[in-house]
Amino acid sequence: MSVEIDRRPMWLIVASWAVRPALFIILAVIFGYLVTMPVPDGLSVAGQRAVAVFLLCLVLWVTNLVPLAVTGILAIVLVPAFDVLPYKVTYSLFGNEAVFFILGAFILAGAVMHSGISNRVALNIMDRFGSSPSKLLVAIFLLSAGLSFVMSEHAVAAMLFPIVLEISKSLGLKPGKSNYGKLLFFALAWGCVIGGVATFLGGARVPLAVGILQETTGQSIGFFEYSLAVFPLVAVLLVSGYFILTRFFPIDIAGVDGAIGMLDKRIKGLGKVSFNEYAVGSVLILTIIAWMTLGEKTGLATVALGSVVVLFVFRLVRWKDIEEYVNWGIILMYGGAIVLGSALDKSGAAKWLVDSLMGGWSGAPWMVFAAFSFLSITLTAAMSNAAVIAVLLPVSIGMARTMGIDPTVVTYAIAVPAGLDFMFPMGTPALAIAASSNYISIRESAKGGFLMFIIAWVAFNLVAAYYWPLIGIGYAR
Amino acid sequence: MKKDYLQNPGALKIDLMLRGIRIEDAVVKAWACGSSGIDILLPNNTLVNIPCAEKFTSASPYLIRRDGDSYFISDQTGEVKVDLVPRPEFYNRKTSTGIRFSDIAASHGSYTVITPSPRCDFFNRSIECKYCAGNFDVKGANNDTVYTVDEVLETVGAVLKEKPSGIIYLSIGFSDSDDGGIGFLRPYIQAIKKTYNCLVAVEALPPKSNDHIDETYAIGADSVLYNIEIFDPELFEIICPGRASLVGRKRYMDALAYAAKVFPSGTVASHLIVGLEPPGSTCMGIDFLTSIGVVPVLPIYRPTSGKALRIEPLTAEIIIPVYKHLYKAVTKNRINLNWVKDLSMVTTPMEVRGLVDDASGGNSLIESFYRSAIGQKTAWTLSTLRRKLRVKGRGGPSDNEH
Repeated sequence: MSVEIDRRPMWLIVASWAVRPALFIILAVIFGYLVTMPVPDGLSVAGQRAVAVFLLCLVLWVTNLVPLAVTGILAIVLVPAFDVLPYKVTYSLFGNEAVFFILGAFILAGAVMHSGISNRVALNIMDRFGSSPSKLLVAIFLLSAGLSFVMSEHAVAAMLFPIVLEISKSLGLKPGKSNYGKLLFFALAWGCVIGGVATFLGGARVPLAVGILQETTGQSIGFFEYSLAVFPLVAVLLVSGYFILTRFFPIDIAGVDGAIGMLDKRIKGLGKVSFNEYAVGSVLILTIIAWMTLGEKTGLATVALGSVVVLFVFRLVRWKDIEEYVNWGIILMYGGAIVLGSALDKSGAAKWLVDSLMGGWSGAPWMVFAAFSFLSITLTAAMSNAAVIAVLLPVSIGMARTMGIDPTVVTYAIAVPAGLDFMFPMGTPALAIAASSNYISIRESAKGGFLMFIIAWVAFNLVAAYYWPLIGIGYAR
Repeated sequence: MKKDYLQNPGALKIDLMLRGIRIEDAVVKAWACGSSGIDILLPNNTLVNIPCAEKFTSASPYLIRRDGDSYFISDQTGEVKVDLVPRPEFYNRKTSTGIRFSDIAASHGSYTVITPSPRCDFFNRSIECKYCAGNFDVKGANNDTVYTVDEVLETVGAVLKEKPSGIIYLSIGFSDSDDGGIGFLRPYIQAIKKTYNCLVAVEALPPKSNDHIDETYAIGADSVLYNIEIFDPELFEIICPGRASLVGRKRYMDALAYAAKVFPSGTVASHLIVGLEPPGSTCMGIDFLTSIGVVPVLPIYRPTSGKALRIEPLTAEIIIPVYKHLYKAVTKNRINLNWVKDLSMVTTPMEVRGLVDDASGGNSLIESFYRSAIGQKTAWTLSTLRRKLRVKGRGGPSDNEH
């Protein structure tokens, strides 16, 4: 039995326990005031209540006073309870395509991981291409990024973490001291972060953003269209990331023989490729092709769920095998965020908020884009990247409409930077997982990550300004 | 013999425990039931267990006298009215498995002592404490009786129903384990806490690691006693060879100091037996224990045949200053006195307040409150709340059934 006794003075313990209930009481009082105060000019009663719910959820999402999913549920409860939207409409919003796409993507990723194919691919790539310290580093960096193209980035980080840890140990790298140890774990984390923004599958943030976009404007972004727009940024970040990492932490070992031996041993332990691995790998490849070719016609969620059905029809996976991979919390949170975004839009609250906040400001579209992307990439350093989208996007879309900017572009401006946290583990599970190795510290992460933060924001804005027009994406509607 | 002892319940209690009492009246003899001591309530609700069967008591100046329904303690120069404490009703009943409750539990005022296993391995290694004549009934290997959790629960239920005591005192002898016996007592403590709203005190050996002290608090003990018994290092080794060699004096002190930081003020206690070492040494022990936040509890050694370890001379005049010193040390170190109170077998700091000239009676309202039913409920609630606030993590093995 392991227990820990809090031996601080009792008044301090009581005070720290009282903070949380006190905060909830204060929030409830403020919420009550916002709901009952005289309705401001230009805002409907439903709009006023939608703003109150939005502000309450914003505080809860930013502070994490309750789990993100619970805040999502609270939004779903409060919107019909305060007559912002009829309850039937509210609950029907949960049936958004984005929510089901995310569900399908989780199940697919779970099947891939459970089959062992992802682990086998990772080990083989590291073994084949990691013959020297720099090559092994590049292999881990690109592998993390590449796998995050098709799987949730935190799932990739969790999958590769034990392998990278074993490599570090087999090379005798000392936690906190070895430069190469730091490089390996930064490569893992940054690779996942960069790869995670490349497609709809990396972090499920983009489907959430697209879901909100669809519910509020009817517009959408295709699977292929998104990746095409973001790919140059991904390439720039991969090159910059490698350059920065190797400058900050010069490689301090001569060879990686120990690691190769360990990888060989693990690969041998896997045995030959099983039928399940072949089959699940094939389903995944076919699914990605279908997303790119049939996505717009049939819907991304339809393709994802269709593949899930195939997996079960052919008994490639059992329900209990993938249950642990489905993050129901994220699904609930996303459902709540979509309901909230739609409530703000349909009640006119989003427009009112934009008018109130922006006043008569009429900056150039690129300035608005730069401002939104900066806000998004800054906030994501401190809070969950999905929460950033949930609180920023509904208002940003409203603002875009007012200023004649294409809401699709604003969706990019929020969704992509929201995934680019290189500095702090709070907002990015991949960084948190890497930091748990004790090879890297938060101070080092903040130092190198700040440079990547600047590069990412500048590169993203340059890509939007000079590359997007070439593929038909412009700021204006 | 000083006449005014009769007028001072604290001093009278000490002198009675030291010299015992003679019983001539047949009714009182029947009341004592052949026990070594008889529980009597002196003025000011001062409860005392007075030796009456040991040989030395035949020379006592005190005699208990009956006059109709009233009882008096006299000493040839005067007398004071007292009450006999009724023998608890539950003593006469049995558990569903047929064991007499009186075999399992013994009420001593505010505490009811339960020793789930009377075994003490010091006896088996011939390193038992020299004075030990069945302190809370611990014995050697010949007694392998272990009362089950259910039997103990039934007993606690009977105790609490009759309400002779509000605190259940679980004790255990030495066993060869790193945890001081808390692993053995764990299921009993957890079951009592789960079933009844009562306070639980635990007397055990100091565990080797402080983690077990944390665990003792976390699983529900409201009070803990690691009895060092003798403060003088040399006498400790001679009189308590088992404690000295297998636990060590330093470990006692370290464990008590740590426990005092984990448990609430006034709930960590340690016995220092008066009469087995010079009074000055006991006073040093009092100073040390109170300085680390531990309540010294001072039982008076009762000599039994063949175990005449008592220092001589030992009179009330010699040891009353020790008790005065105890009260002053406890109040000086601001240790809560409301926990260790109303014990028949020992004189508590609160009871000797009347001996100290400058002690005021300002706390009597609080004391009365904690003696009341609502006060006991409050004590339990506060203790439970404190535990909920302080204990952060729990896990690992839970109930080992006995």
